[in-house]
Amino acid sequence: MNDHQAESRYEVPPPALTGSVWAIFKRELGQYFVSPIAYFVAFVILLIMGLAFNAYLEIWKDQRTTASAPALVGFFVSLMVFMAPLLTMRLLAEENREGTIELLLTMPVRDIDIVLGKFLGAWAYYTLLLLVTVVYQLILASVAQPDMGAAIASYIGAWLYGGASLAVGLMFSALTENQIVAGFLGLSALMVMFQANTFALSISDPNLRELVRALSTGTHYYRSFANGIVRLEDVLFFVFVMAGALFVAVRMVESRRWR
Amino acid sequence: MIKVEHLTKRYGTFTAVDDLSFEARHGEILGFLGPNGAGKTTTMRILTGFMPPTGGHATVAGYDVFTESMQVRHLVGYMPETVPLYPDMSVRGYLEFMAELRRIPNRRARVREALARVDMLDRAESLVRNLSKGLRQRVGLAQAIIHDPPVLILDEPTIGLDPRQVLAVRSLVRELGKDHTVMFSTHILSEAEQICDRVLIIHQGRAIAAGPPQTLRDELQKSGRVFVRIGGASTDAEELVALLERVPSVARVEAMDTGFAVTAWGGKDIRPAIARAVTEAGRPLLELRPLAMTLEDIFLEVTQVDDVEAGGA
Repeated sequence: MNDHQAESRYEVPPPALTGSVWAIFKRELGQYFVSPIAYFVAFVILLIMGLAFNAYLEIWKDQRTTASAPALVGFFVSLMVFMAPLLTMRLLAEENREGTIELLLTMPVRDIDIVLGKFLGAWAYYTLLLLVTVVYQLILASVAQPDMGAAIASYIGAWLYGGASLAVGLMFSALTENQIVAGFLGLSALMVMFQANTFALSISDPNLRELVRALSTGTHYYRSFANGIVRLEDVLFFVFVMAGALFVAVRMVESRRWR
Repeated sequence: MIKVEHLTKRYGTFTAVDDLSFEARHGEILGFLGPNGAGKTTTMRILTGFMPPTGGHATVAGYDVFTESMQVRHLVGYMPETVPLYPDMSVRGYLEFMAELRRIPNRRARVREALARVDMLDRAESLVRNLSKGLRQRVGLAQAIIHDPPVLILDEPTIGLDPRQVLAVRSLVRELGKDHTVMFSTHILSEAEQICDRVLIIHQGRAIAAGPPQTLRDELQKSGRVFVRIGGASTDAEELVALLERVPSVARVEAMDTGFAVTAWGGKDIRPAIARAVTEAGRPLLELRPLAMTLEDIFLEVTQVDDVEAGGA
């Protein structure tokens, strides 16, 4: 018998089903409302959306075309290249810099709980931002007859697109201690992913070109959701991007233990 | 409660902890002493489940720190050297978050209890960012004891505090030591001497001495040293040195403060011989007392020997 087994064992709480995801999620979501950056982001997004909304109204009036609900959501989606890094760059980089990651990693908390809690907190905040834009849809619905089904499809797409973008941003936040570096890398990656279908045009090898195009986040949103279509392959694409980026983020957090 | 066997940690080619073995019993305050970079923090990080060891193994309360990390983390309260706090949170909010992460029941009561223990009930609503260094340290301690763990690991809990705060933290550690196993690191030797039941001195990742402070001092005090102060009309130093050197068994005479430090061969008690010699020479003996070796001296001696060995190799 091992001598360490002879020592009386202390009782420990049983592992919880959801781990500590909920505790971390609550803190992260709360953090958005105590730090000025989140209010600032919300303010700027609403301002820009308002400007865009007015511009769209003018266009629809002049061209006498049907008002399109997804157009506004599509515009919101295009902002995410800049907004997602802003919303996520703090999440892990700050913990790495302040040394609080050491505390989290010595808590009875799984590494994946830390990453998931933070991601879900950011996604929840993003969802709130997205829901605020519904105001413009209500105004639109009161003056025109937009296609409601298409509007809902575009929101589902924007929600998934946002989740994928935030996951990528979080991944870069896990990589470094510097928020600016995290933000810049996230911005660059999201930009490349968004524009991959355009960049693909310069690739001569047809197979590679198709592959790069298939990885474009912009294409997966604009060719389906933006037209009011929810396609399984596009849904799965965003889910895979999310899962992949989060997996890498968990690995990055784990690697803090080995340095 | 804590059992470390042949623990080794390498970062690339650098060996931070080298075949370290020690034990801390239940209800014991173990002082972990060593200069900066001795491997104290690394050892503590392994014990708290922050990083895995390269070799050897360690158990806390019977659980392996690597394979049963989650259990160990439940049973250990840890305060890292740079107290990890969230500046945007209130003291209460921070502690409640920690309690929730640990999934302990009666969170509010536990938070209040921990705050009371570090005497910070009146600052519960303050934002962490507005706290002084000493108060932050106490919040860090409150965080470590929030789940009333059987084992506390505190990395340099008194570093950077003013003398009054240092005293407060020391008495807190002493008090916690009554019902917890406490392992705390410091590079201040008098601190370890005052608080600890047992001291472990480590240097370059290796344990070089261990035991109760008193025993350590007795064991390592190889040379009998006494302090002598001689009065009289003539205070010619050379004459007095010559006088003392003539005393049998005296190995070395050095000037020290207003008198001399006399070292005897083989740790002999030479006080009677010195007293006799001085009075026979017709001089008034003003002071004659043994010079206790402090842990500081022991520490310097032990680490110097090591440095010489390392340098010669």
